[in-house]
Amino acid sequence: MPDLSFAPLLRGDYLAWLLAGLRLSLLLSGLTLLTALPLAIGIALMRISPLRALRIAGEAYVEAVRCVPLLVHMLFWYFGVPELLPEGIKATVYAGEIEIVSAWAALTLYTAAYMSEDIRSGVRAVPAAQLGAAMALGFSYLAAMRLVVLPQALRITLPPLLSQTLNLWKNTSIATVIGTAELMYQAQRVESATFRGFETFALVTVAYLSVSLLLTGLAHWAQVRLSPSGARR
Amino acid sequence: MQRNRRRLTHTLAALGLSLLALQGAHADQLDDIKKKGELVVGVLGTDEPNSFIDAKTREIIGYEVDLARTLAAKLGVKLQIKQLAVAARIPELQQGHVDLLAASLTHNKEREAVIDFSLTTFVTGQKVLVKADSGIQNLAQLSGKKVVTIKGGTQEPNIRKAVPNVDVVTFETGPQAFQALQQGKGVAFVNDEVSLLDQHAKLGAGKDKYRVLEQNISVEPLAIGIRKGEKRLKAEVDGALAGLEQSGEADKLFLKWYGPETRLKFPKRTFKIESDKVDN
Repeated sequence: MPDLSFAPLLRGDYLAWLLAGLRLSLLLSGLTLLTALPLAIGIALMRISPLRALRIAGEAYVEAVRCVPLLVHMLFWYFGVPELLPEGIKATVYAGEIEIVSAWAALTLYTAAYMSEDIRSGVRAVPAAQLGAAMALGFSYLAAMRLVVLPQALRITLPPLLSQTLNLWKNTSIATVIGTAELMYQAQRVESATFRGFETFALVTVAYLSVSLLLTGLAHWAQVRLSPSGARR
Repeated sequence: MQRNRRRLTHTLAALGLSLLALQGAHADQLDDIKKKGELVVGVLGTDEPNSFIDAKTREIIGYEVDLARTLAAKLGVKLQIKQLAVAARIPELQQGHVDLLAASLTHNKEREAVIDFSLTTFVTGQKVLVKADSGIQNLAQLSGKKVVTIKGGTQEPNIRKAVPNVDVVTFETGPQAFQALQQGKGVAFVNDEVSLLDQHAKLGAGKDKYRVLEQNISVEPLAIGIRKGEKRLKAEVDGALAGLEQSGEADKLFLKWYGPETRLKFPKRTFKIESDKVDN
């Protein structure tokens, strides 16, 4: 066992690399959350829609996405999809932050599939009679959903959604394979420069763990404080 | 109570002794290798012609695999090849999962602090491949541009040193980075000269669309990696390698994998397996 020393890692460049990685990991999680959540609500609504075609499309999406590993999604969105763009646009996209955009796209679609299932469960936890009652009062189906069912459903769903956010946070690490300079990527870079693999990954573990524990705590708090009394039992 | 305490002391002493014995068993790797009758050598398996998978037999072959075979034969043990990722090489060696590294490993001063190296087994430079229509003629023109390369090697630090303002994106393997270049996700691909020439040659007819820049970004002596402080093992390895040089076998191996008959077409060997000293 070689001697452990954290001091070389906490100086100058290496620390800056790790912090830049942490920043990008957080940014990627935040951006994905912003896009995945609306998409997930849309898919959940499709899956419980009165129209059969929408239900099938929603289910097909969820199954297709969940049955493929995230690593494959990443490679697909980096090496595959952008190649279909027209030449002119492609050159501009590739000159920019394609590594971040591809990771964002893959994470959004992947996370939305899981979140939509949680939201669907939340909707099912709201008594079905409420939808009927709202429509009997003259609300359209969509208005009844938006104003009566979804607000309650999302409150019930908050703890599982936070747990999906935790998964999302950990999943950002997979983006290292497509050259996205997030925390894992920077950690590997520091490791190859210093050969202090144990120390580097110990620091990275602490970083992942602290954000994860924060999310777990938040989920616990949401469970206790925000769920309607029916869901608290 | 008294008896329990004594028993505890005995147990602890026994534990201590067995730990010592365990350490004793690991004190010399050469003895370990001979005892288990097997030499585990870590290779890349993705870096033709140093180590790569033969399309027909599905086995890992190459220049470094042949070197490893010679070493195993010299020690009189069986050879076991283990495929490693570039970034995993040094940790795998340090943790004892492999006995030696024959994995396109650059010998430099910085790495001497963590592992030992054999005599230099190959000398290569690192170069840059660009698209022919990119208009890039020299290294300076890469400033501010995006270049792609492999994680965990010396390629990234070297290109950053050569072109301070460059933007680098790294991938797990050479072929992946090369694909990113082909798709235009970077303007240049940085790699060891040999791997670069090999990947370039593999393009066949599409070869003309790419060009290798003349300037070297570094000179890279490759060597076998040995765990730090294993002096007897290093002596054996160096002895076997020096033997290859003296018998002329080293030259044959070079011609077999790099010579004019191969895709790489190196006319002759410009180095000798004789020294374990490096300049940088």
